[in-house]
Parts: sequence; structure tokens; C-alpha cells
Amino acid sequence: MTERPLVRMTGIGKRFGGVQACRDIDLTITAGEVHALLGENGAGKSTLINILSGVITAYDGTIEVDGRPVSFAGPVDAQRAGIATIHQELDLVAGLSIAENMFLGREPRTRLGSVDIRRMRRQAAEHLRTLGADLDPRRLVGSLRVGEQQLVEIGRALSLDARVLIMDEPTAALADAEVERLFETIAGLRRAGVGIVYISHRMAELEVIADRATVLRNGRLAGTVDPKTASRDEIIQLMVGRSVDALFGEGRNEPGEVLLDVRGFAVTPRRPTPGRTEPAGVDLTVRSGEIVGLAGLMGAGRTELLETLFGAGGSGRRTGEVTIDGRPYHPHGPRAALARGVAFVPEDRRGAGLMLEHSVAENVVLSALSSLTTLGVVRRQAVRRTVAEQLTSLAVKAASPAVAAATLSGGNQQKVVFAKQLLTQPRLLLLDEPTRGVDIGAKAEIYRLLHRLADTGMAILLASSELPELRSLCDRVVVLHRGRTVATLPRASATQQAILAAANGDDAKETR
Amino acid sequence: MNPPNPTAVEEAPAETPPPRRPSLRLPRDRHALVDNFFRFQSLFGLVAVFLIAIAVSPVRNGENIFLSSGNLANIVRAVSEIGIIAVGMTFVILIGGIDLSVGAVLGLAAVGSATLMVDSGLGILPTVLIVLLIGTAFGATQGAIVARIGIQSFIVTLAGLQAARGIARMWSGGLGIPIAYGDGPQEAPEAFSLLSGSINGVLPVPAVLFIAIGIGALLLLRTTAFARHVYAIGGNEKAARLSGVPVRRVRIAVFAISGLLAALAGIIHAGQLNQGSPNDGSGYELDAIAAVVIGGTSLAGGSGSMGGTIAGALLLGILNNILALNNIDANVQLVVKGLVIVAAAALQKLRPRIS
Ligand SMILES: Nc1ncnc2c1ncn2[C@@H]1O[C@H](COP(=O)(O)OP(=O)(O)OP(=O)(O)O)[C@@H](O)[C@H]1O
Ligand SMILES: [Mg+2]
Repeated sequence: MTERPLVRMTGIGKRFGGVQACRDIDLTITAGEVHALLGENGAGKSTLINILSGVITAYDGTIEVDGRPVSFAGPVDAQRAGIATIHQELDLVAGLSIAENMFLGREPRTRLGSVDIRRMRRQAAEHLRTLGADLDPRRLVGSLRVGEQQLVEIGRALSLDARVLIMDEPTAALADAEVERLFETIAGLRRAGVGIVYISHRMAELEVIADRATVLRNGRLAGTVDPKTASRDEIIQLMVGRSVDALFGEGRNEPGEVLLDVRGFAVTPRRPTPGRTEPAGVDLTVRSGEIVGLAGLMGAGRTELLETLFGAGGSGRRTGEVTIDGRPYHPHGPRAALARGVAFVPEDRRGAGLMLEHSVAENVVLSALSSLTTLGVVRRQAVRRTVAEQLTSLAVKAASPAVAAATLSGGNQQKVVFAKQLLTQPRLLLLDEPTRGVDIGAKAEIYRLLHRLADTGMAILLASSELPELRSLCDRVVVLHRGRTVATLPRASATQQAILAAANGDDAKETR
Repeated sequence: MNPPNPTAVEEAPAETPPPRRPSLRLPRDRHALVDNFFRFQSLFGLVAVFLIAIAVSPVRNGENIFLSSGNLANIVRAVSEIGIIAVGMTFVILIGGIDLSVGAVLGLAAVGSATLMVDSGLGILPTVLIVLLIGTAFGATQGAIVARIGIQSFIVTLAGLQAARGIARMWSGGLGIPIAYGDGPQEAPEAFSLLSGSINGVLPVPAVLFIAIGIGALLLLRTTAFARHVYAIGGNEKAARLSGVPVRRVRIAVFAISGLLAALAGIIHAGQLNQGSPNDGSGYELDAIAAVVIGGTSLAGGSGSMGGTIAGALLLGILNNILALNNIDANVQLVVKGLVIVAAAALQKLRPRIS
């Protein structure tokens, strides 16, 4: 790495009120390298790249691009300097189409000056195809799943032909197949001399694609390592400041009675919604004390199944049988589901999980308010205590429970959603990508928590795109394909290949 | 003034996981001060306008007219109807809605009060109950349409406004119904005229009602689970629904409250004017919305306070009063009111936003 870096950041610092998010950080980005940025939730990764991408304009330190000092007045400036960014929290306009979103603000024009819609759509489709996404560029972004939105966001960044591409957790909502496509794209860009900053909490990914890794801890530089040679333990040690003990407990209790039983369950919508895959023949059982995984590709219908089980799915005729404790269970809304002891952590934490402008405390207690009131009046003391307990037990990093949820780092926001649902003391917990964007230490905590909950007899049904997570966490993995159960794999036979084969619909054989 | 907790988090030794005991107090730094200024913006505004009013008030025989107890009581009396409506409007706006029907419901309630007592010969209690019931039912119906069918409240209550006016005109035959007091037929019970009177000759009854309702609503909004649900729906409806908040029920309740309070304002209106006219209260909805906005409640829903609304209503009242005391043309008053609304909203924009 002798050539002059594309970007050199020196002595970067940033304070938010009482929180020092970044302090004296140096970072260089060279052409043709994939530079990973690592650190726990709240370590300051997003803040650092927000500074580089012009989102944050007031900060300490200097930024040089091609050796010349710059100071961006906004994201557009940074883009002009050749820096494109895929932000962690997707910022697409829900009411516009995929193509319109990709070219927002720089729409191609016809000779007459009107927007060249055809060219826009064609180019959007091309970029999506590079990523292996089979999406109609005319579809509204609001109708897309989180993972699909992420692909649109990536496509938009690609279409900028930038020299520096920053990716803040681009794979958080992607399933393995899409991740592989993305990696191919990244490899191509790297050969073309693009400098790439890559943030992820998935350690396995770094070993595959990163050339260099910079680790942040508590807003400070903790060290730079070569992820190809450094051991995972070393990196975690740098990130967390201690080693994280074995992530996955074994020695679980024997599962108890059947709690959730789903037989030939299907939902036939009156009018199908594009992009939704309703349950179309689902069979699965979850016993109390058991953790069952839901695997499948994007569009396999995992989210729709969980939503439907929580009474928040689409409308339509329901066929088949769903029982809880042997009694029929067809919730007509989330309240009915909660009343039967079912709780749900949605995948889209900003859209469906949190009130971003409200305080952390208000978010945490929202679903448990009724147990914290006397004659309709909220008992403040009890609320305060409950919130403190929950935040401590999940190790949420927040300046105080009174700060707005929006100011928390991504992973900590997820923990807040988690805390809220656990307060309802559910017997069946439905989780959609529960560790999306959660750092490795917190992930281990969540896994331990799930095991602990399962040991107390809770039944857990968990959808995840991370195969290692499913394999190590679950007693059984149910694979969905186009809304139907295509395989049920016990822990021992739930190998990566077996899950992927079934998810692709290759070889649908039941191994119940 | 060092922020107590954040520093602790920062300087925790990085080697061991810091024991994170989240502080329960707000960080007491400059930001909290700034934040508090904006939170109580309308109160500061109220005090400022009050002081300005004292300064510019005409003085007669050495007495500051604005400050005379009679004048102050009149101000509160004058804003009481708008104020009561604005209290209901605050709930609606907090869930991210709007209620345009309140002025028309006020007219309907005024007509109802007059007709029921004068024409139907009902006593005060049955009249008040029936009229409040009508207002509540009207609001609840609008709420149900918003919640069940999912039409925007702007549209539903715009339609409600027309409907309420129409019903009021049909009921009254299009004319104002004068209320005469006495025991005979076509006469209303004497006690109803208390609404235009004062307690001990100083505290106007409508003003007392407004302040009582305002304080009640303020406490309700600060302490109850219902209020938390209201804020939650305004903050993120989907998240609220998935957290088990009874979104539809709360929606309907909120519009019912707005209708109830508009009807109460209508009864007071009839009592003060000694008549019920179907055209009364037109444009009141906009004044009520203005009071809420000046009070710092966001039209997007999810944030705001009842104290702000009360302060906003009083501020508007003082403004009108002082301009009138100085014989400033009513049309100029309108322009000033407009400027104040924009200024209040602009101040809110200056509020430091998160992220
Ligand atoms: N707008 C803001 N206002 C106040 N505090 C903020 C704001 N943005 C970030 N912070 C704080 O700064 C710190 C760093 O946050 P940042 O988002 O950079 O973390 P991160 O490393 O990206 O974490 P994650 O892996 O969870 O995304 C956190 O403590 C966060 O709470
Ligand atoms: Mg981040």
C-alpha cells in the first residue's frame, strides 16, 4: 500500500451532547482495497462514515481526498467528490418507484428536458440484475421487503460510479445467496480500483472479502489488523476489550409439550399484493422450551408467516389448522395474539418496531403499560424501575433512558425492541431477524438470553438469514420455499448445504 | 455542570465491561436547557406577550386597563370556548389527525341546547346530557370512519363539518333560536343563564370551566396509559399496533373526546349569547388549531403538550384583547394572529432535532 490513499481522515472527533461518538480517529482508504470497519454497537462506525459522506458537517479533524483537504457541505458534495454511501438505515422514498429512487435528484433527461423514464428504468434494471435481484423497477419501494430495499440502496450507490464506496452493514438484511452476489460485485469493483469501506457485524464475511480491518472501540481507534491472518478471537478482543466466551450453549433442557402446532396452513388473499408471499402450506411445530428456526430465500414468506401468526398479516381466507396448547388459534390482531401469550419482534425496527422520536423508556414500556398502571394511571416509579432493569439486563447503551430512540446506534435500537416485547412475558416468541445489525458481543448476549428463555419453557420461532445462526441456535430448522414448508431439518442434519438446497426448492424431501 | 452519566460511560475502563447503570435523570447540560426552552416555548411566549401587553396597554386614571381584574377575567372568558375546543383538538392532533368539524358541532350543540329547553321544555340536566351525548356520538362516528375505513381525518371531518352544519340548520329551521328565561312554556330554566355569569362576580363561569377542563386534560395526558397510547399512535402507528396498543379504540375515543368538548363549548356558547344559532362557531376550528400549534404540538403527531395548548389559547386571547384595547382594526388583528402562528411554528423548527 505505497500509493497515495484516495481518502485520508485525520484526527476525526464528533460529540453528540454528552456522548463522544468519535475521538481522534485516523482512517485511510486506498484504491482497490476493501477496508473493513469493525466495532461494537455504538462504537462510532456510522458516525465516522456519516462524516466522510457529508451527512455530518460539524466535526473535528481533517479529511483529504486525493491529497487535497475537503470539507463537504452536504451529501451531494461528497458524491461529487466520488464518494458514494450505502447508509445503515435505509433512506428511500416509499412512495416512489425503485427506478425513481435510484436516480433521485439526477434523473436522466430526454432531449426535450423531460425525465427519460425508459432509460431510467432500463439502467435501474441493469444494476439490479448485477446484484441478482429480480425486481421490477416500476414497483414502489414502499412495497418492498427490507432486504429488497437494501438491494435497491446498493444499486443506487453502484449507479453513481463512485471511486470510494462506503457500505454500512449492506448485508444485514440479505440472505446468503444475495450476499454471495454482492461479494462478486464488490470483487469486481475492487479490481476496477474502487476503494471500499465495509462495515459488518458478520465476522465470517470479513475473512472472505476484507483486505484490512480497522477496529473502533468506544469511539476510539483500537487497532488495525489483517483479517486474513488475524484470528477471530484477536479481532473480537480488539472490538470488545475482552474475549467473548463460547457463543453457543449446548446442554439444553428436554423440550416440553407442543405449544404451537401449524398444519397445512395457508392464506389465500382476495387480491394478491405484489411482493408478498403468503403462507401456502406451512407445517411446523414448536414445543415449549424449543427454538425452531425458519430458513428460506428472500421472498420465501418467512416474514409473512410470522406476521400472520401474530395477527398482523394480510387479509384473506385461512385454511389449515393452527393451535396453541391444542386450542385453535386465529388471532385477528396483535392484541389478540399478545393475549394468548404470543409476542413478535419485527424485522423493520425503524418502521415497525420503534417510535424513533420518543424516549427509550417510552418505547420499552409501551407494550406492557397495562401491567404498570393503577386505574389507568401509569405508576412512574414502577415504569422507571422496569425500564432500568430491562436496559441493564440487555446491556443497552444509551446516554439515559430519556434520550430519543433515534439517537441510539442500530444494534442498541434492536435491543430496545427486544426489551419491549419481552416485557409482555410471552410464552411464544416470534422473532424476525432478531440479531440484524447487532454486534458480536450483543449477539452472544441475545443467544444466551434466548437459551435462558427457552429453558424457562418459552417457545421460540425465529427467522434468520444467517445460516450459522440458525444452525447453532435452533433445535430444528424449518425451510420455506414460496410460502410452503419444504423441509424440516433436525439440528444434526441442518447443514448449510442441506438448508440451501431445500431453500432453493431443489430437492424437497421431508425429514421430519 | 458536567453531564453525570455520559461521562461515566465514556471513561469507563475499556478493559472490563463497564457496569452500565442507566441514569434516570435527564442529562443536565446545555442541551437540556435549550430543550426545556423549546418545550416550554409557549409558556415563555405567553409571559412575553403578557409583559408586552402590560407595557402597551392604555392607562386610565393611573390604572393599567389591561391589568384590571375585569379585563383579565374577560380575556379568559373570551378564549374559553376556543380553549375547550383546543383541548379536544390537542388529543386529535397528537395522534396525527385533525378535527375540522368542531366549529360546526359547536353550532349544532348551541342549537340543540336552545331547542331542547325552549321548544321541548326539557330541564337543564337532560338538555346538557343529550347535547353532550350528541357531540360525543358525532365525534365517535367520525373516529370510527377514520379508524375502520381508514379515510384521512381531514376528509372525514371536513364532511362532518358540512353534515353538522346541515343538521343544525334543519333542526333550527335555519334561524337562531333565542333563549328566554322563566318558568313558562317556550322559556328556559333561569339557572342556564349562570353560564354567562361569574362566580363572586369576578370569575366568569366559562373561564372556570375552561381552566378546570384544561387542568383535567393536562393531568390525563401526563399520567394515564391512555395518553401513552395516544402519543404512541402519533409517534409510529405501526409500532404501536404491533405493541398491542388498541389503535382503533384509542382513535375513536380521541375523536369522541373532541366532539364532547366541542358540544360543551356549544352549550357555553348558547348560555353566553342567550341563543342558539346554527351558524355559530364557524371558523372556530381554525382558531383551535392555531392555539394547539402555538402550544408547540406537532401536526405530524406524537409530540406536544396540553399545557402548551392552554398557553396558546390564552396567548391568542391576550393578543386579541390588547389589540382591541388599543383600538386596532380587527383586520389588522387577523394579520397579527397569522404572524404569531408562523413565528411559533418557526421557533419549533429551530429546535435541535435528533440526527
Ligand atoms: N444524532 C445523534 N444524537 C445523539 N447521539 C448519537 C447520534 N448519533 C449517534 N449517537 C451516539 O453516538 C455513538 C456512536 O453511534 P454510531 O451510530 O456511530 O455507532 P455504530 O458503531 O455505527 O453502531 P452500530 O453497529 O450499532 O450501527 C452511540 O453512542 C450513539 O448513541
Ligand atoms: Mg452503525
